[in-house]
Amino acid sequence: MNPILEVKDLSVVYESNGAVAVQAVDHVSFTLEAGEFVGLVGESGSGKSTLGFAMTRLQKPPARTNGGQINFRGKDIRELDEESLRQQRQGGFAMVLQSGMNALNPVRTIRNHFIDIFKAHGHVEKGRWDSRQVELIEKVGLTRETLARFPGELSGGMRQRVSIALALSLEPQLMVFDEPTTALDVLVQQAIMETIKSLQKSEGFTAVLISHDLGVVLESTQRVLVMHQGRIVEDAPSRDVLENPQDDYTRMLLSHYADPRAEVVELPGFTHRTRPVADDAESAPGATRAARAAQREGRSADSAIVVDGVSKIYPPPRRGEQPVTAVDDVTFTLEPGQSLALVGASGSGKSTIAKLITGVEKPTSGAVTFGDLDVARLGRRQMRELHKNVQMIFQDPYSALNPLHTVEYTLTRPVVNFGGLRGKEARTRVLELLETVGLAPVEQFAAKLPHQLSGGQRQRVVIARALASNPQVLIADEPVSMLDVSLRAGVLALLEDLREQWGVSMLYITHDLLSARLVTDNIMVLNGGKVVERGKTAEVLQHPVDPYTIRLLDAVPNPARARDGVA
Amino acid sequence: MTSTQNIPSVKAEITKPPSKFAFFTRSAGTLWANWKSRLGLIILACFVFVAIFAPLLAPYSATQDGFERNADASAAHWFGTTAAGEDVLSQLIYGSQISVSVGFIAGILSTIVAIVIGLSWGYIKGFGADVINFIVNLFLVIPGLPLMIVIAAYLQNGGLVMIVAVIVITGWAWGARVLRAQTQTLRSRDFVTAARFSGEPAWRIVFKEILPNMTSIIAGGFFGAATSAILAEAGLEFLGLGDSSIVSWGTILYWAQNSNALLTGQWILLFAPGLCIALLALSLTLINFGVDAISNPRLREGKSR
Amino acid sequence: MFVLRKIGLFLLTLWAAITLNFLLPRLMPGSPTDAAIAKLAQNGPVTDATRAAIEAQLGVPNGNILEQYFSYLHQVLTLNFGVSYTFYPQSVSEMIGQAFPYTVILVGLVTVIAFVVGTLIGVLTAWKRNTWLDALPTLTGSFASTFPYFWTALLLLFFMGYVLHLFPTSGAFGPTASPALTWDFFTNVLYHAALPSLTILITSLGGWIIGMRNAMINTLGDDYVTFAEANGLRGRTVAIRYAARNAILPNLTGFGLALGGVVGGSVLVEQVFGYPGIGFLLFNAVIGQDYPLMQALFLLITVSVLIANFLVDIMYGVLDPRTRR
Repeated sequence: MNPILEVKDLSVVYESNGAVAVQAVDHVSFTLEAGEFVGLVGESGSGKSTLGFAMTRLQKPPARTNGGQINFRGKDIRELDEESLRQQRQGGFAMVLQSGMNALNPVRTIRNHFIDIFKAHGHVEKGRWDSRQVELIEKVGLTRETLARFPGELSGGMRQRVSIALALSLEPQLMVFDEPTTALDVLVQQAIMETIKSLQKSEGFTAVLISHDLGVVLESTQRVLVMHQGRIVEDAPSRDVLENPQDDYTRMLLSHYADPRAEVVELPGFTHRTRPVADDAESAPGATRAARAAQREGRSADSAIVVDGVSKIYPPPRRGEQPVTAVDDVTFTLEPGQSLALVGASGSGKSTIAKLITGVEKPTSGAVTFGDLDVARLGRRQMRELHKNVQMIFQDPYSALNPLHTVEYTLTRPVVNFGGLRGKEARTRVLELLETVGLAPVEQFAAKLPHQLSGGQRQRVVIARALASNPQVLIADEPVSMLDVSLRAGVLALLEDLREQWGVSMLYITHDLLSARLVTDNIMVLNGGKVVERGKTAEVLQHPVDPYTIRLLDAVPNPARARDGVA
Repeated sequence: MTSTQNIPSVKAEITKPPSKFAFFTRSAGTLWANWKSRLGLIILACFVFVAIFAPLLAPYSATQDGFERNADASAAHWFGTTAAGEDVLSQLIYGSQISVSVGFIAGILSTIVAIVIGLSWGYIKGFGADVINFIVNLFLVIPGLPLMIVIAAYLQNGGLVMIVAVIVITGWAWGARVLRAQTQTLRSRDFVTAARFSGEPAWRIVFKEILPNMTSIIAGGFFGAATSAILAEAGLEFLGLGDSSIVSWGTILYWAQNSNALLTGQWILLFAPGLCIALLALSLTLINFGVDAISNPRLREGKSR
Repeated sequence: MFVLRKIGLFLLTLWAAITLNFLLPRLMPGSPTDAAIAKLAQNGPVTDATRAAIEAQLGVPNGNILEQYFSYLHQVLTLNFGVSYTFYPQSVSEMIGQAFPYTVILVGLVTVIAFVVGTLIGVLTAWKRNTWLDALPTLTGSFASTFPYFWTALLLLFFMGYVLHLFPTSGAFGPTASPALTWDFFTNVLYHAALPSLTILITSLGGWIIGMRNAMINTLGDDYVTFAEANGLRGRTVAIRYAARNAILPNLTGFGLALGGVVGGSVLVEQVFGYPGIGFLLFNAVIGQDYPLMQALFLLITVSVLIANFLVDIMYGVLDPRTRR
């Protein structure tokens, strides 16, 4: 036993002016052994990042530690004065921040960032500065040319690698990674996690990985701390957490992971999908769904969305550069009642396709039609007609609702504009919509403002708004990626129900293959604006052909795979 | 599920939607909680009170002369009399009417111009936006006071209306720029796109979705514009470019300088009107500290390091 | 690339300002030209050449506007602005030539000093946020910045000049000194510039302090500052090279835009102190309805502010690597 960090009864409180104090971390105790790789998992608001900042004494007002000890190598760092704390950061504890892309000073070159650290601690002699910088930057998989660059000239993933190299230059015994890959693209995320894992092995530092994603943590770490409402509810080796979780909360989190490649995919709320989906797909889904859709009252003849040889080329971002081809000759049809997944990493062109279908952008070549509407050539009235039938569900529920309007106002507008309802009729319709998306008691939710709702509830309001015009098509752009894992299944199940009961067709845009497997029949994989693979969702995911699809599948965090790795 | 009409509409009356003014009461609370803006609000309230009740508060009429000239402070004339034999205190009290109303009127007018230009500018793209950008930048860099002086010189003694007009012409650009930036931020937010998908017409998106989210920035722009309007009005009056027959803090200083108050040693005549202008401007600046904290949370948090 | 674009924009703005100056008298009700010629006639007979010059500047009622415009542009390019009436028979260019150096030294130098000092104090207040080192400069600064320029000037003049007799009460140099490149004359000029400079310093300093403080409080909340602290950089390095270095950029933009206000305020200051610079001249031109002089002065002030803004823009480009791409 060689403890490097002992946290005893640590509490952190948020004290904002004029607001009730919030105990974000509540009497937390744990010990880290030297050389361990430990995961700290929790959903938003669990206090995990607050704990990470307190551990390295980086908390800033309004956060304040109000009890307990943080013993690093036997010394309580809460007691250290500013200067000894500063010195302790070399050869002691380092931190890599969540938003690594913004963690670099935009007006200083990468080289100067290193030099600032060398100067501050004097642990590298001046003659070795250059060689040490090169050594560090190559360790994180970047070239030495990177040193001369400004942060603005690097991609998000490269910037996060630079921050890791900078933290590494402190030669720390303990490194805390706070959601190091969150804002990054799926494939980049995976590559950076690989770098962190191999560095931890080669450099031998103790590492804490803070993440909202239990899958990522179980894949990488030896021990897991699960945090919930400011407390640590589970502290056990990764393998035990996986095979024999003790706490209900941990079990709940675990239940939300599944392998999209499996024969049978099961999540809470999706038990009806336990039979192999491939069989279901055989029985001509288009026909049955269209039939179901036709049963709906007061609906005009259903129309398909036809995307025919569409390309979108954006002008070069800067003079002297190449134009950007976001979408390259894509053709597909979204039949009435069909559910199609559009899958790819960021920059694959999937969101651009959504913009082209909804008339927000015009294609450079090719045509998008909905019924007899040519989407690229719509007048104001026809645009209204399109929006009545094609609605959108947004990625970020925090930005998709006007913070100043009540839920009722937000839902009333499309009801008035498209349904022509007024007064009590409109209100009745709004309450129905709330009922449909499962926000009961409806009157109470109708009167709420967005900030009084949780992320999942907001997303339900966004869905209700999309349903208000009684649309034929829903374009769902990453509808669950901003939600906590435990809330995702609920929203996905709602989308699935709506589709089954209303016969709405859905274009489901995502980078998350697991959710695509759950709610769609067909799938298209996009890479660099081109369709690289398409087919029945279950088939494509179980037997992928294109290497890009395989890479995407490999990047899905999967606790079960971790078990195989550990075993 | 859509066809279910079984929800009794009686229930509709049970819950009251929250007041439309909830946001404003919340903002007012935030302003009041900040001691700087609280102090500013109190000072401003005092000036507004004095301006409204000037006829009741002032011991004499502002233009009543015939008292002893250039008299020092006495029981009858607390602040003494002017070179024309008028009561200084009464002039100060009546003068507040001019400054307060010029500040409010010019502030509101230039804010309206800023809103109209800023919002439409934030909403259009392409060549039109470039042209507006150029015009706004031109108005931003052209020095306001010299322009006012030149215009005032052509419009001999145009009076207060001229002064307000000139202040508005030269004072809207800054607000328009800030509002444009905010409009662009807001219009890229999903709820604006969503409003379009909800079939909302453009004017409703601007006035119901975008504008209400800029309240604090508009308020900040208004207080800023009012401050510079008050200072500019006083400056023009002091130079004798306004209507020198009215009684305002600027004209008191103009007559004081012209009657050589510096030489006669009547320092109150110089000190008091300027202090009033400074305090009124200060009150608006202080209120803006609080407004800034509403629109920029980083300025809000208390203790640090 | 960046510099070329800025130069292009500058030339375009310059042209717009010159054109605005051309349009201004022509947009005004009444005829400034007739008023000007009537005024000039008091000094003696008006020659045809003089009349033509005035018409080019202030407009001919019913004349061909394009022709006037080109003759005006020609005037501007040759710096021929006609004769002044109030200082007849001196030419406008001569008058401006005498006054300009005083204002450049007084306003230009003091403004730059105020900006530098204010920015430094702003850095200090943001770094020592919520201590007395923050509260004191912030409050006194914001209070002083609400003082009307002319009031600060009057108070200083009254107490330092008339009551305490510490400083001269008007002029740019004493009655016994004569303009020459001597040490005595130089100190005499400094002595006379002291109070006007102090006025500009007192009234403009607060704005720079608050501007920098707000900008730096923003950058102090940025992630790169937190990360720099996590890396154990010294407090001073974090404050100056990270937080302040980035906060300078928005503050510099603010400086360019606020410059017009300072120049405007200095008109009032020069008038109070009888300081023979551009502002004082403008005041006299306005009082004497000396339109040619007034127009030329306004053009000069505008162009100076434009040039200053252009320099600020270029400096911004040097300080921000992101504009270089």
